[in-house]
Amino acid sequence: MSQGTIRGREAFIANLSSRLGRQGPPAEAPRHPYRGVPDFYKEIERTTEEKIEWFVNSWEALTGKTLIVDEAEAPARVAEWLVEIAKELGVKNVSRWEHEGLKALGLDAALQAAGIGVVPWVPVEEEGGANAGSAAGEAAASQEADSSNWAKRSELLKRTERCELGIVWPDYAVASTGTLVLQCSPQRGRSVSLLTSILFAVFRADQLVNRMGEAFAAITAGKRHPLDYASSLNLITGPSRSADIENDLTIGIHGPGKVYAVIIK
Amino acid sequence: MSGQAIDEKQLIGTGLKKRTEEALANDFLRKAVAFTTDKLRTGKRQAMDDFGHWEEWRERARAIRKHVVENLDYYLTQFSDNVAKTGGHVYFCQSGEEAVRTFLDIAEKRRAKLVAKGKSMVSEEIHLNHRLEEKGIEAIETDLGEYILQLAKETPSHLIIPAIHKNKQQIADIFSAESGESFAPETKVLAGYARQRLRNYFLEADIGLTGCNFAVAESGSITLVSNEGNGRMVSTLPKCHVVVMGMERLVPSYDDLEVVLNMLARSATGQKLTTYTSMITGPRREGELDGPEELHVIVLDNGRSAQLGDPVFQEVLHCIRCAACLNVCPVYRHVGGHTYGSVYSGPIGAVLTPLLQQDMKEAGQLAYASSLCGACYEACPVKIPLHDMLVQLRARKVKLGLTPLAERVAFKTYQTAFGNVTLYRMAAKSVYYLQKPLIRKGYIKQGIGPLAGWTQSRFLPMKPKKSFRERWEELQRELKAQGRPGSGASAQGGDRA
Repeated sequence: MSQGTIRGREAFIANLSSRLGRQGPPAEAPRHPYRGVPDFYKEIERTTEEKIEWFVNSWEALTGKTLIVDEAEAPARVAEWLVEIAKELGVKNVSRWEHEGLKALGLDAALQAAGIGVVPWVPVEEEGGANAGSAAGEAAASQEADSSNWAKRSELLKRTERCELGIVWPDYAVASTGTLVLQCSPQRGRSVSLLTSILFAVFRADQLVNRMGEAFAAITAGKRHPLDYASSLNLITGPSRSADIENDLTIGIHGPGKVYAVIIK
Repeated sequence: MSGQAIDEKQLIGTGLKKRTEEALANDFLRKAVAFTTDKLRTGKRQAMDDFGHWEEWRERARAIRKHVVENLDYYLTQFSDNVAKTGGHVYFCQSGEEAVRTFLDIAEKRRAKLVAKGKSMVSEEIHLNHRLEEKGIEAIETDLGEYILQLAKETPSHLIIPAIHKNKQQIADIFSAESGESFAPETKVLAGYARQRLRNYFLEADIGLTGCNFAVAESGSITLVSNEGNGRMVSTLPKCHVVVMGMERLVPSYDDLEVVLNMLARSATGQKLTTYTSMITGPRREGELDGPEELHVIVLDNGRSAQLGDPVFQEVLHCIRCAACLNVCPVYRHVGGHTYGSVYSGPIGAVLTPLLQQDMKEAGQLAYASSLCGACYEACPVKIPLHDMLVQLRARKVKLGLTPLAERVAFKTYQTAFGNVTLYRMAAKSVYYLQKPLIRKGYIKQGIGPLAGWTQSRFLPMKPKKSFRERWEELQRELKAQGRPGSGASAQGGDRA
């Protein structure tokens, strides 16, 4: 990664320092006695069972649906639930993270057996359209190829955008707010949890934390350089929503409007 | 002549009265604003109760914001170093004009024709859309409310719910005019059209432009919150992401971010957390298959640094833009956001606008669009004493000699009369005689001069011949004559007053 640039900083910061009555910014990090949440809030600690219940309550209050399964039954029951949802909502293509946990559940085979296409988050050979299926052909035809930025984008991105359902495996889930915590990586595209109209998340009960700050603490631990952080960290709390039309709650305005979570015990 | 009238209405101070009258005459607007603000206020109260320890949280959030603002030079240096380490570019801009030109440079280098915008008050503050239009660059607002307003060629009337003043039929008409199709005034239908239409802009945009809710100094991360997901769209799909942020929009660490995110969502809408909270640390990395290839961060001063070191107004930089003060303000609730004639409305707008524009003459007039009731302070999650600031702004206006002559004379007279017992008594007596021509059956029903505003909707009781003080003295004499107890002690108090 090449170094970025900084412009106009010297005079800008000098002005701030002078307004603050000093020669320049402090050389050492300023003492910050009120860092983070109050102590009483850090003391919140619940058992895994309690955290599951807490998450489910928070998630379902936001219209999310949940499935709790034991590890032994997970491969059969998760695939079954997923296919059931996909069929009910008329899903033709599913996008998913390239994640070992998801692969181990054998979801691809179940989906394909039900006639549903799977687009894993891995590079796709560009153009030709041989593997892209009929949907790709139609969409390509409808784009004005010359002036269109989108037409020039990667085949993977285009295929993902045509999927109706996205499957992810969050790094953490926050029980108190019903929040999925996702860090992107080459195998974990940000688009998968964004472009489809349905979001399907799978995680293990031991990934549940009480509050947002516990996930932050785990994520920031030991990181010294900004490149140690994921380029995109997303907290997703329920379906995409808007109240901009006469205060009427609209679900699924840009991102997924239906959200599902599987907790494996 | 009509041209002149329009200009005057647009002047923040001069047009304030005219805009207020228009807003008050608009029944739909008043009802819609009252309904929405009630809903947001109730939601916030519920969220506060559920969360618990609210005052402790407020105090913590205030302490964090105070610490950041007192050390802005340090944290901005750290933040920009970290952004650059990820390959992002940072531009420090003193003025709005500088920020606009910086953005135009970036856009021209990329030969951008289409900019998809997430919600950004700062880009409104620097009037970026207008300048892009001049250059033939299309800028599309992608927040649903802002998109509706852009098509209607109007400006936001609330920080969180920008199109608070539009009803479904109006929105259906706006969308029908835009698309040539005809839409039923139903939320589902309208939202469906917006989703499909805006999706196309997300996919095609050359640049995604966003604001920044909080930047994290320790990692160089930009935090964006949105319920709709448009903020994520414009910072994920276009190849270039440009952030325009006010220079004070920082927190030191992720630990602190937890506090302000909790406070922002609860105070703004009563949610535990906004649907999407994204922390972006640099452009896409090697091997990643989506995300922008370029990240540019424009850090804007534009009048903010003038508040640093100011004993009264520095705290205004603590604001986290939740709009809770709008929802509780009795003035805002009646007149809505457009009346303020500024990008920022409500109590925070009335304080921030004259300070940022450093204009006490026109913008300073907004300090009077308040009842000084202090509800804004109580609602503020970072405890900014907005009501005190409003008084201080008024005082500033007086010191600069910017108040009307009649007001100055009136207060001078008031000062003289109330500073001297004899004069005060004489003045009080003379009011009794002066009011006589206006009295009808014990009331002033139609006042003149400044009284007319009062009597337009209610009667003013006449001032009785004997003042309370005179009646009190009489009463005491009577009691004394009857030999009742207690008359002596209160006589002392009476004398002193």
